[in-house]
Amino acid sequence: MHPVIPYVLAALLFGIGGYGVLVRRNAVLLLMAVELMLNAVNLVLVTADATIVGLPHSGQVFALFVIVIAAAEIGVGLAIVLQLYRLRRTVATDSIDAGEGTVLPRAEPMPEPGSAQTGPDQVGAR
Amino acid sequence: MGSYLGSYATLGLLLVVGAGFFAVAFLANRALRPHRPHAEKLTSYECGLDPVGGDWAQSQIRYYVYAYLYVLFAVESVFLFPWALVFDRPGFGMVTLAEMAVFIGVLALGLLYAWRKRVLHWT
Amino acid sequence: MAAEVLARSLAEPAVLAADVKLPDIDYLAIAPMLVLFGAACVGVLAAAFVPQRLRYRVQVSLVIGALLVALGLIVTVARAGRAVATAGGAIAIDGPALFLQGSVAVLGVVAVLLIAERSLERGGAFVSRASLTPGSAADRDQAEQPGATEVYPLVSFALAGMMLFVSANDLLTLFVALEVFSLPLYLLCGLARRRRLLSQESAVKYFLLGAFSSAFFLYGVALLYGFAGATGLGALRKAVQAGDGNTTLLFLGLAMLAVGLLFKVAAVPFHVWTPDVYQGAPTPITALMAACTKVAAFGALLRVFTVAFPVGAVDWRPVLVAIAIATMLVGAVLAVTQTDIKRLLAYSSIANAGYVLTGVLALSAAGVAGSLFYLVAYGFVVLAAFGVVTLVRDADGEATHLSRWAGLGRRSPLVAGVFTFLMMAFAGIPLTSGFTSKFAVFSAALGSGQVTLVVVGVLSSAVLAFPYLRVVVLMYLSEPAEDTPTVSLPGTLTAAALAIGVLATALLGVAPAPVLDLAAKAVQFVS
Repeated sequence: MHPVIPYVLAALLFGIGGYGVLVRRNAVLLLMAVELMLNAVNLVLVTADATIVGLPHSGQVFALFVIVIAAAEIGVGLAIVLQLYRLRRTVATDSIDAGEGTVLPRAEPMPEPGSAQTGPDQVGAR
Repeated sequence: MGSYLGSYATLGLLLVVGAGFFAVAFLANRALRPHRPHAEKLTSYECGLDPVGGDWAQSQIRYYVYAYLYVLFAVESVFLFPWALVFDRPGFGMVTLAEMAVFIGVLALGLLYAWRKRVLHWT
Repeated sequence: MAAEVLARSLAEPAVLAADVKLPDIDYLAIAPMLVLFGAACVGVLAAAFVPQRLRYRVQVSLVIGALLVALGLIVTVARAGRAVATAGGAIAIDGPALFLQGSVAVLGVVAVLLIAERSLERGGAFVSRASLTPGSAADRDQAEQPGATEVYPLVSFALAGMMLFVSANDLLTLFVALEVFSLPLYLLCGLARRRRLLSQESAVKYFLLGAFSSAFFLYGVALLYGFAGATGLGALRKAVQAGDGNTTLLFLGLAMLAVGLLFKVAAVPFHVWTPDVYQGAPTPITALMAACTKVAAFGALLRVFTVAFPVGAVDWRPVLVAIAIATMLVGAVLAVTQTDIKRLLAYSSIANAGYVLTGVLALSAAGVAGSLFYLVAYGFVVLAAFGVVTLVRDADGEATHLSRWAGLGRRSPLVAGVFTFLMMAFAGIPLTSGFTSKFAVFSAALGSGQVTLVVVGVLSSAVLAFPYLRVVVLMYLSEPAEDTPTVSLPGTLTAAALAIGVLATALLGVAPAPVLDLAAKAVQFVS
């Protein structure tokens, strides 16, 4: 027996997630799209687990692993996105690009003299 | 393949009937009802009160840390269930117990760090 | 019928529990990783409880100590000559794993030296609160404070994850290890003290693309599980050999898995994150990624393809050959157009990924040995090169634009000399490690008949020599401009890192035999 429907469903889910990652511009929605892709993975794992006969049913446990790691990944992701929002007041990914060659807003005003450099001495300039 | 897909026939039938029921109800509704909108009618319904403020509300960012800590612990505890199925079987015993203790210890470490960095402190 | 399957799987937990056996764990074999993970956990505690003024010293000695102990243990295990698959076959401690773990540990020590440098910039290259608006009052306060010491546990976690990654013998373990070393790196990318917006941009890009690619990787794992009914690499090989599974699942799964791995090694269609991330991340972290992540990712790639899929090689080899060719060409050609030294090194690292792939695709013992040697040699060069980049500074931090490097050779001959030597190693001039390592992989590829790869490799090396030489020419033959950056006096740690990198590069160029022999002895995978 080959369970076509769950596999196709998972592929669709994965496709929707992938599409979401490619077209969405909101970082939080991007994270949600990635979650969708990971849930497609869970569906495949559970399907495969149910169709394999005579082996230890590890697919279910794999799905648990995926859930936990996805939670950790999203935690890190939300932290990064939160930091993004604090600095830029937006989570739109297409406005992130500080880009190559563009003049950045000067990252900091000049720090106090002596706070940055150890000194103007050059190595071996003797 | 036929018998396999056939086993989903009931589900498919249910889906079709459900969608049909929904469509018929809404189409009938649209065909029968009068349609005379004005501004008052189009405001959001909040139990008869006038709605206040916009439809987007921000919540305190400090909830995030709590929510996140909760989610992490809730999710990590999922590993306890398969463990609980096997830990008292012959051949498992103390080693299994110790391993789970290490796992929970690592989790507790995270909580300890959060507590020490005053993340749990409600300002 | 589907209902029957469902009913069976619902009825089964009791059976399942009885079937499960407690796997044997060879604690000595995995001790290096345990030490490093343990050190990382202690580091988290230290970041919370050790008084502020001692924290930095405690953390740095903890990481370096743990790495050295891990290295000692790896040598002990390797001396004992054991090759085992432990933890229920999920971890394989064999020749390649030990060699790569050792490389990760050694390169990790050098990278930690760069990361721990605090004399170039007050408080080091990292900040503890990276979300403060640059230039605000709170941020000026922060500029006076020492940087985050959480960096060190994060680095330990990343390095331990890489060690697990190169020894994982099961696709699920491989995925867990992938996340364990990726997540800390995402965070580390965003903690730069200077150029914070760029740093943050790199963290966001790296995270989003990394999460995307790891979803692909995982989907591949799930499909392969559907194909073989197991995720162990040995079981996969048996299933491919038996050939009675669903080949759609096999090919789709393999392709998705390859996408995830090729993303981490930055091979060409999946390389777009590399320049931005390498440029934006704090330079010591870039060095760590360029050296250690490369080692880890190629280690896993080697293991997956040689252990699990040797049978289907006819099918996947042409695809990987095409990717390797594209990687070498695109990396080399785009490196020519770069005007920023960190981006230049990023594109050069892409091209170098192509050269290692050449060794991998030889699919022979010589190829594996060549790739292993290449990874170590390249790691030292790239660490030292980024170490020099941290030294060339002006008031705004590192001066990475190439025009700022003009005339550096007159103002600080020593640093310029070191950088010239490293550039020559990158270009593969004889008597540097670059030459020996390129020779090793190309001759291995020739030995197994991959002439196209070698021709493209040599051509792209020639193209790639141009940007390197351009930097050298710029440093020596241009007049120093008014605003030529000063070269800071390296602190002890950076100086040590540079010395190690340069010495290793010279030694591996002049007398590569011991390491080559070691790599040649370490090629046997177990599964």
